[in-house]
Amino acid sequence: MNPLRRWLQQLKEYEDIAQVGQIARRYFAMNAFDGVLTMIGVLMGNYSAGVESARVIISTGLATSMAIGVSGFWGAYFTESAERKRDLDDLESYTLTDLNETKIGRASRAAAIVVSLVDGLAPFLAALVVLLPFFFTSLWGEIYHSYYLSLAMALGALFALGAFLGAISRENIALTGVKMIGAGLLAMVLGYLLSPFGG
Amino acid sequence: MGKIRRLVLDVLKPHQPTIIEWARQLSDLEGIDAVNVNVYEIDQKVENVKVTIQGRDISYDGILEVIRENGGSLHSIDEVVGGTLIIEESITLQDQLRTGG
Repeated sequence: MNPLRRWLQQLKEYEDIAQVGQIARRYFAMNAFDGVLTMIGVLMGNYSAGVESARVIISTGLATSMAIGVSGFWGAYFTESAERKRDLDDLESYTLTDLNETKIGRASRAAAIVVSLVDGLAPFLAALVVLLPFFFTSLWGEIYHSYYLSLAMALGALFALGAFLGAISRENIALTGVKMIGAGLLAMVLGYLLSPFGG
Repeated sequence: MGKIRRLVLDVLKPHQPTIIEWARQLSDLEGIDAVNVNVYEIDQKVENVKVTIQGRDISYDGILEVIRENGGSLHSIDEVVGGTLIIEESITLQDQLRTGG
């Protein structure tokens, strides 16, 4: 068997034992949502403060998305490791054997890593997507076009996330998409009203 | 050295990996022709299974490794058949009296 196939088979085996898929999907949706909304906050803050330098917005945006990524990874790794260790200890009390060096122990550790990677990368990448237009500001020369495009992309990303959740729950994907957009619009309005230059 | 042809084991295992995976891994071992994994008791987190293995030359160590690797714990060895033929246990008079047969 070639190494890639063996690796995929092992991953499938770990998935069967530790059920990574469902929890990773949940983390992905939840944290990508966080990433987009945080970036909407950053953008609205910059917009209200009248920041017109793409460089400033990109550096604050990148630093923020990096921080959300690190926060997601760190938080999920420790939470997931603790929960899974507890489950393993619980199971050990039934089997009366040490399960650390078994398939079950390895699957449990791999699950914590996969889930925390998803938890860290999802908000980081989602935030990065929202920030993308600012990298091309020089193409259209007008920073406010980047702002509007970024906010539109944020709403698009929220719609896609809603549709993804709708597909999971087998609901109307357009409706779940629009519900998610509602959160984005609310964050935009609040961000605008709460800024010292707004309202 | 004599060859083990049949082994019947009583094993306690977690629900995952499933008995399908157990049967697959055990039958992948060298010298094994047939495997039967039978659940006879289910608990909240674990289950008790009777594992029957038949083959030309069964490696007991290999089987123990599969059990350990999958988080199982061997409770007892209930039957062993060795040699060139597979021999069933003989019914004695005491057995007949006990079962009323």
